[in-house]
Amino acid sequence: MTGALRNTTKRSAQPGFIWAAPATLLFATFGLVPILVVGYLSLTSWNGLGTPEWVGLDNWRALPNDPDVGGSIGTTLLLTALCWMLQTPLSLLLGVWAAGPQRSRAILSTIFFVPLLLSTAAITLTWLSLLDPNYGLAAALGPFVGVPDGNFLGSPDRALYAVAFVIAWQFVPFHTLLYQTAVRGIPRSLYESAKLDGARTISQFFTITLPMLRHTFIASSVLMIVGSLTYFESILLLTGGGPGTSTRVLPLHMYIKGFVGFDMGYASVLAVLLVVVGTVLSVVIVRSTGYHRMTSQREGMR
Amino acid sequence: MTHDRLEYAGTGLYRVPPVDVRDPENRRLSRYRQALVNIGIALWLIVVTVPLYFIVITSLRTSDAYVEEGAMRPPSQISFDNHARMLELGFGRFIVNSTIVTGATVLLVLGTALPAAYSIIRGRSRVTRMVFPVFLLGLAIPAQAVIVPIYLVITRVHLYDSLLAIILPTAAFSLPMSIVVLTSNLRDISTDLYEAMIVDGGTAVQTFLHVVLPSARPGFVTIGVFSGLNAWNGFIFPLVLTQSDDQRVVPLGLWNYQNQFGTDVPGLFAAVLISAVPVLALYLFGRRFLLKGLSAGYGN
Amino acid sequence: MRHVLFGRVIACMIITGIVNCSAACGTAGPGAGSADTVHVWALTDPQNEPLIQAGIDDFNETSRVKLELTTYVNDAYKQKLQVSMGSPNAPDVFFNWGGGNLSQFVQADQVVDLTDALRQEPSVASSFIPSILSAGKINGKQYALPMNGMQPVILFYNRKVFSNAGLQPPKTFDDLLRLVSAFKARDVIPIALAGSQGWTELMYLEYLLDRIGGPDKFASITAGSVGAWRDAAVLKALRMTQDLAERGAFGATFSSVNYDNTGASKLLATGKAAMHLMGSWEYSSQLGNNPDFVNGGELGWVPFPAVPTGTGDPTNAVGNPSNYFSISSGSKHIDVATDFLLNTMSSVSHVTRLVDSGQVPAVKGIETQLAGTSNGEFTTFTYRLVSDAPSFTQSWDQALSPSLSSELLTNLQKLFLAQITPEEFVTTLEKAK
Repeated sequence: MTGALRNTTKRSAQPGFIWAAPATLLFATFGLVPILVVGYLSLTSWNGLGTPEWVGLDNWRALPNDPDVGGSIGTTLLLTALCWMLQTPLSLLLGVWAAGPQRSRAILSTIFFVPLLLSTAAITLTWLSLLDPNYGLAAALGPFVGVPDGNFLGSPDRALYAVAFVIAWQFVPFHTLLYQTAVRGIPRSLYESAKLDGARTISQFFTITLPMLRHTFIASSVLMIVGSLTYFESILLLTGGGPGTSTRVLPLHMYIKGFVGFDMGYASVLAVLLVVVGTVLSVVIVRSTGYHRMTSQREGMR
Repeated sequence: MTHDRLEYAGTGLYRVPPVDVRDPENRRLSRYRQALVNIGIALWLIVVTVPLYFIVITSLRTSDAYVEEGAMRPPSQISFDNHARMLELGFGRFIVNSTIVTGATVLLVLGTALPAAYSIIRGRSRVTRMVFPVFLLGLAIPAQAVIVPIYLVITRVHLYDSLLAIILPTAAFSLPMSIVVLTSNLRDISTDLYEAMIVDGGTAVQTFLHVVLPSARPGFVTIGVFSGLNAWNGFIFPLVLTQSDDQRVVPLGLWNYQNQFGTDVPGLFAAVLISAVPVLALYLFGRRFLLKGLSAGYGN
Repeated sequence: MRHVLFGRVIACMIITGIVNCSAACGTAGPGAGSADTVHVWALTDPQNEPLIQAGIDDFNETSRVKLELTTYVNDAYKQKLQVSMGSPNAPDVFFNWGGGNLSQFVQADQVVDLTDALRQEPSVASSFIPSILSAGKINGKQYALPMNGMQPVILFYNRKVFSNAGLQPPKTFDDLLRLVSAFKARDVIPIALAGSQGWTELMYLEYLLDRIGGPDKFASITAGSVGAWRDAAVLKALRMTQDLAERGAFGATFSSVNYDNTGASKLLATGKAAMHLMGSWEYSSQLGNNPDFVNGGELGWVPFPAVPTGTGDPTNAVGNPSNYFSISSGSKHIDVATDFLLNTMSSVSHVTRLVDSGQVPAVKGIETQLAGTSNGEFTTFTYRLVSDAPSFTQSWDQALSPSLSSELLTNLQKLFLAQITPEEFVTTLEKAK
């Protein structure tokens, strides 16, 4: 305390913990404390009514016997991969295209942006009607993509792809925006010198544009991966995890156990599992992207 | 090419206008590819606009016509009854609520995340150093994992069934990503700039106002959009933490409507349309600012 | 014409603006829990909400403590009730489905036992149809009273599709199988099924088990008896159900069809499908969405077909006996709430309101009253179906605990898609709690 009072001139030039305090308090109250509570609940039997009853590791022992937990982890990973593979090329190409200065592009990119403005609930309800095999578009368009009966959301093999598509429809605009603005920030001088070297536009794309978008690529990928791990509303509203358990991702499995089956104790086990997976993922992301560096280490132009 | 380079907000960073694709040389090289690109764009345009078209025409149909007419044919009789009915059901109120929730969440996130990021990058406090990893680990923690304890916390602080009950947790769960983006933004500000402020005898507050705030603009906009989307789309927090009509937000209003009058599809899409109009207006109004804010100094 | 419409839109905007403001700018809403109010929670439902409100208004005229109604939509309601029971936000009187749903609240000591109160006013209990009243009983004690109409599951059919094909609605399960092949040959989906939602598929299993083995088979499942799932009758019912799906009785895309957005009902109304097994609410839903179909006399209905080889009585019914009102034990006004339930739920005015709204109240001796209404033909059919039924089995997903029923519905979807065998189905459910 006295150390802080001494040397005030120097100290006041640097932001103390007080600057981080509001954010920390907010996150601790609604993030950290609840995680600890969930850890406790995972050791109890509780249906949401009355007081949780201590059962030790019973819920954890039930985990290996849950036939759906392995599948839901697999589905989560598959969906994450699908979302990434579908959205990244689309938004990269659209972003590069939209960065052009033409007026027509500005108008079209405005239209392309609209899906982002509808809420998840609105989007899923729309697609639910469009994908109805009897009265929606699905029956008319199905044959063109090799599904003559238009059975997308109801087919165990295709439902997950349909879900990934709807998610992409919603979020591609956001990632396009990230790429678009990043492309606009690329110094023109780079292209000019490339042109002097006789590089064609296609090779310029690979030698200049793509490397220059590295940061954006990482940021956008992180957002996609984290996103597909954390939200489940689209799936809940589109398929409810079905047919059967074909689209039941881990967060949804937790939701169903907790808020449909009201087995809060076991749902807390799944929640802890989610927290662990999320933390591991965070560590991997942070390590591989260098987000953890705290001091400025500007390496010039990268 | 110095005339092409614009110094950005006194940071010593430069950005250069984008490559001009209208350049005749570029055009010659890419006529064939251009055709391919145009086809691709046209396809995507169809993918984007067909559902939007569907929303609009369905909302204009009368309820019984939805069954008789196909999904995509234009309605035989245009009716605004659906929209009027949705407004009667209080969708106006839901939109106001959603707007309040979104606005407040964005302000709260920006207001707390930037000072925190600044203190993480420039601060020497030991506590701050401990705080950062905690936020990093929170990056991929799904909010619904902790929904039950959050409900308990919210009822303890007597916020149950208020908009604040949605705002606080939504903001809290947007913080990790926001702080990560902002710290990586601030990290790119050259140390010299901070040092210069200190040499001039600037306080932390002055440095924040004159160096941090202007340089963080692209990150600011990214995070504004990111946390704004989280709040606007949020479903699970409103579902569990509010109950009365007065506190209902748009996603919950839509979902409720489908549960309640699921059979009235035109009504549902009228609600979808009504709830999209204000955001669309806001976007058209603020698009220029959005793009500008995002691209300023990005990818430097 | 246009101007009128626009004018109406704007007028509505202004009105809603004012109404919302007066509501939002006033004092705290219902959640704040003023101690002198009895909070009544029910489902948001255009049919029931006004008549519950009317009953409350009647009661409030003479009561010192006032009742206040708050409504929620189905899925949100279940979650809301679960998290708020036992908290200061709990309601005094709450809507429920009886059975397993109610039983977990009873086990947590959160529901008021009404048995003694009913004993003091014997006319109340005796006015209800016994099989319906008993779904509000847990361990022999009455915890809930029926508050709206009975909703048995009925086989609806499209008369026009049947007469065009020169076919008759099924009386036995074999008839049904013959109809399946006949309609398939004519390129009509034999039976509409909203297979994206497991509860629509459950109706087949419920009826088939009852027809094959009688109501005791499911009773022992609810009682949690060992081996109840593995009973030969259950396995047979599962096999017949799966066989029906494999024969294409529900068309190729049933698992994409949704009930909530009218997908399945539309199939029946437009003649793309010939039959639809659904709760009696399907009638009012069709009336609302396809009035010409109903008023033109094209909507037909019969009881679920008999299974002659089975031991169950073919006049038994399954479905939702009714919805119920119960009182939470944490209420500060248990006496007022009890008074409300006993005096309102079987009262002439409440029953008349139910009948007028097109419902079939679970009250004895109202046949002539029903016959006099505009939908008399259908409501008297429903009334007879239930009152003549020796047994009325409650929908399984309401009778069983929430966790077991969620497991049940998930695995039923898998069974319909032939992802699991009946044996695997049984094994999974035996393990589920």
